[in-house]
Amino acid sequence: MIALRCMLEKGEESFRQFLIEVRKDDSIKKPNLNNDDFSKEFSPKITIDPWHRFNTKQELAEYLTKVFKKSIVKREDIIKEKGLWTWLAYIWFEQITNSRKNILTRDEHYICTSPSNYRRYYIHLIAPPYIIYSLHGLPLSKLFLYNPPWQINDLTERVAANQFLISHKNIIKVIYRLYFDESRGRPKPGAASGDVEGSIRRFIKVIQQFEFTYDIYSMTSGQIIYLLPEEFKRWIPEEFNRWKNLYIK
Amino acid sequence: MKRVLNFTDRKRIKRKNVSLRFEKENNKVTGFVIENIDLNGLEIPGHALVYVEAYYRTELKRCKLGAVNSLTFPFKDNLDEMAYPKNSKFRILVVDPSDLKILAHADKISPDDADKISPDKITGKIAILPVQFTDLGNEIWRIEYEGDEGSPILLVNEKIPLNSPRQDPQFLLFVYPAVLREILTHIVFIDKIDSTTEPTIDWHRNWLKFTQELGVEIPESLSFDDDNENRDNILEWINKCVEEFCNKYSKKFQEYVKTFWGEI
Repeated sequence: MIALRCMLEKGEESFRQFLIEVRKDDSIKKPNLNNDDFSKEFSPKITIDPWHRFNTKQELAEYLTKVFKKSIVKREDIIKEKGLWTWLAYIWFEQITNSRKNILTRDEHYICTSPSNYRRYYIHLIAPPYIIYSLHGLPLSKLFLYNPPWQINDLTERVAANQFLISHKNIIKVIYRLYFDESRGRPKPGAASGDVEGSIRRFIKVIQQFEFTYDIYSMTSGQIIYLLPEEFKRWIPEEFNRWKNLYIK
Repeated sequence: MKRVLNFTDRKRIKRKNVSLRFEKENNKVTGFVIENIDLNGLEIPGHALVYVEAYYRTELKRCKLGAVNSLTFPFKDNLDEMAYPKNSKFRILVVDPSDLKILAHADKISPDDADKISPDKITGKIAILPVQFTDLGNEIWRIEYEGDEGSPILLVNEKIPLNSPRQDPQFLLFVYPAVLREILTHIVFIDKIDSTTEPTIDWHRNWLKFTQELGVEIPESLSFDDDNENRDNILEWINKCVEEFCNKYSKKFQEYVKTFWGEI
């Protein structure tokens, strides 16, 4: 076990330099950034297992939620600590790069940017899984957390980067109902494609139009589904049509 | 020339008709207070419900103020669960409870007492472009439309040691013309400004006024739907504004050029 730390600016720069170098030569040694020049211990003291294995983003989010719950620290205080998220990416670097076989090209996947820089904040590989899981729980967050920690999730990039969508639980519920295949534990094929009728990209556009007309927050997920145009028909679960009246209430 | 789709005749609550401020303890934002929302003249039925939403990024808090005919002020609530209470923006919604349609709204409201972020007076009269130093990775600057009613904020990379970007000749010459071009393009092509004489959004009006102060006449129409000719006129107008802006700082430009070539 190791005490949780927050990366300082100097540590961030060293980590960024390491990312540049490891993309060229994946055998190089990770620098030691666990000292006060590069990072500082998080207060209150929380320990994590640097060798814990996560098969999915969901497992990662569950682990962090459990760890944070044991301490007195509040969710709203954790999510703004970008240094903490960068340090976690540093410490779990092998896991979130599939043992360096999948090192992504953008530094922001590993170095957490300020939440004010929202679109880039949401491509970090550790912070969003925790934020989404702690916001929406299961089963809804499965949509964004079903794949391995080192993989980009198209749905997260499309939905979570849109602050209106991600903050509305009823919209997330609709997305889950339309695009998630519970039997396979992953999104339905074509859900995030650009050229498939009624895919998530179109859904986002349609919801953005609804947002101007309807008080989306007050609507149930069934009421939102009911308003969707014909092109979404193929995505609407069979049971919705059967129990339409119940959903709409 | 109103072109923004508004099939439901949704009304806009003007910013000046909302009086909203933060509540602070030891200089820390803990909640908000709405002193008043003036809905007079909007012809909203008394049974319509009024909500206020405080939001920032993934955080959202919604409060019900009640029916239009029974609103009581001041209305107070806390922002305990918000990760960034001082960054909260507010949205006011007036909703018909029978069909959940929005009858009137105001969005991206900053409280009256929100910290002003290093206002940078581009006109010397009205601070129309606040500057905020922030983490932008390897980007030098960016415009975000996160101010009051979606007004622009110039984000500058916090790693760049500038006190006031406009006072730095190089930053002024390199960045501000591009900023002006982007903002005017945004006003016309993204926001689709609804009038050249009486825009409903205050910051649009301020920026049009700024272009007039540069000595550029505003075109009769800034509408461009299916009208390539007017699109060209608009782009020409934007270019003219940028040109005049640069002319205004010609002395600084000459001085900058001299650093390369010296006195000839």
